[in-house]
Amino acid sequence: MIPLIDGDSIALQVGVALVLTFLVVLIVRYILLLWLGYLHHIEGRGRALDRTPEPPVTIVVPVFNEESVIIGALRSLLVLRYPSIEIIVVDDGSTDRTRERVAGLEGRYGDTTLRLVSKANGGKASALNTGIALARHDFIVCMDGDSRLDPDAISAAMQHFADPRVGAVAGNVKVVNRTGVWTRLQALEYLEGLNMARRAQGFLRVVNIIPGPIGIFRRDVLRRAGGYDTDTFAEDADLTLKVLTDGWHVAYEQRAIAYTEAPERFIDLVKQRYRWTRGILQALRKRRGWLVSPQRGPLIWLSLVTMLFEAVVWPVMNVVGNVTFALVALSAGAASGVFYWWVLLTMLDVAAALYAVGIEGEALGLVPFAVLYRFFFIAMIDVAKLFATVEEIARVRMTWGKLERAGRI
Amino acid sequence: MRIDVLLSTIILVSFLVTILMAVGSYVAYKLREARRPRSEPVTANGESQYFERIRPDDA
Repeated sequence: MIPLIDGDSIALQVGVALVLTFLVVLIVRYILLLWLGYLHHIEGRGRALDRTPEPPVTIVVPVFNEESVIIGALRSLLVLRYPSIEIIVVDDGSTDRTRERVAGLEGRYGDTTLRLVSKANGGKASALNTGIALARHDFIVCMDGDSRLDPDAISAAMQHFADPRVGAVAGNVKVVNRTGVWTRLQALEYLEGLNMARRAQGFLRVVNIIPGPIGIFRRDVLRRAGGYDTDTFAEDADLTLKVLTDGWHVAYEQRAIAYTEAPERFIDLVKQRYRWTRGILQALRKRRGWLVSPQRGPLIWLSLVTMLFEAVVWPVMNVVGNVTFALVALSAGAASGVFYWWVLLTMLDVAAALYAVGIEGEALGLVPFAVLYRFFFIAMIDVAKLFATVEEIARVRMTWGKLERAGRI
Repeated sequence: MRIDVLLSTIILVSFLVTILMAVGSYVAYKLREARRPRSEPVTANGESQYFERIRPDDA
């Protein structure tokens, strides 16, 4: 191949500098995530569930047109290994048969009660706020109507509240419908991407997104925060930042597992990530004062900066770094370099996947998907994030859009 | 590069990174422990929402 860039040109030097920066950030990011995650892991090792006090909890389940999944979600709550539970299902003006299905399950099951509250459609945040306002107990679990909880999820999370500084606990979300390549890649992404970051933040107790499928809060903390705001598309991230910036510790519990149905179609996946990115940026914009004032709280500042980094900076670096490397290598007549670059990054991703799978006791069968992870799956997700960032900066109008569910909960 | 120089470099860099991570972890832990909520939680009847963990010795 004829070199397109002169070996001494500024363009080549800039390209090499970009690629080296990307590589350094990639390795430092992995080291920090793995190290802090490991510290969190060994700190929590050996905590026995049967020694944790179990005060009554209220579970709030907001639902809107969830007829295909709501029965599975509610049945998982009725078999929780936890002594006293109040379940409040808030129907946010469903137009399908969700209300009838929930009504069929209303009643008392031992120490667990289940009741349905119906309201006019006002969005997920308003449905959650309705449930929080009606909650009778001092600890509140917020979950999604399309999720299913592990029987020990609540017990595992509650032990963190023995520390009076802990205001909320983020649970561990796993993909339940691992039926195709897309959903298996998402299952790996939840382990290697989302949970690994959350575990690292968990050591510092500055988790910046309590996931919608499972979050446990002190009721008082929620009330002081004013509940969920309705002005962002990521109400879970927005509320978490409110709790964090009020000084509360936000912990992560790996054993508090919620299973969620991941989008099975590519278009739904892109829509979901587009909404997440814009929602996160909206939540960060509301706290931009914190982003420029590290002295207000170094760890909170660090958490917000990493949130911005993961949502915007890292996707840009990922796309630019890989494209730049390919251009530089091909232009300099080193086509084989592209192959070795792919091998190097894939080895890193496979190592990270092995760590993530090992630490969560997950199926080894997910690890081979790491080969497709960075250059195909994450590349597409990152492009969606880039468009979302540009449109959020330009304040382009957007709407919620309901994901299609296959009813696999 | 000679093999002994390469190995020495790897050992030195690994050692320095380990020291940095150990110091960083300690500082991060201290910052975490120093952080306090701005507001104290109370319940309607004035009792604390906190509860004590039952240790094996207490059971």
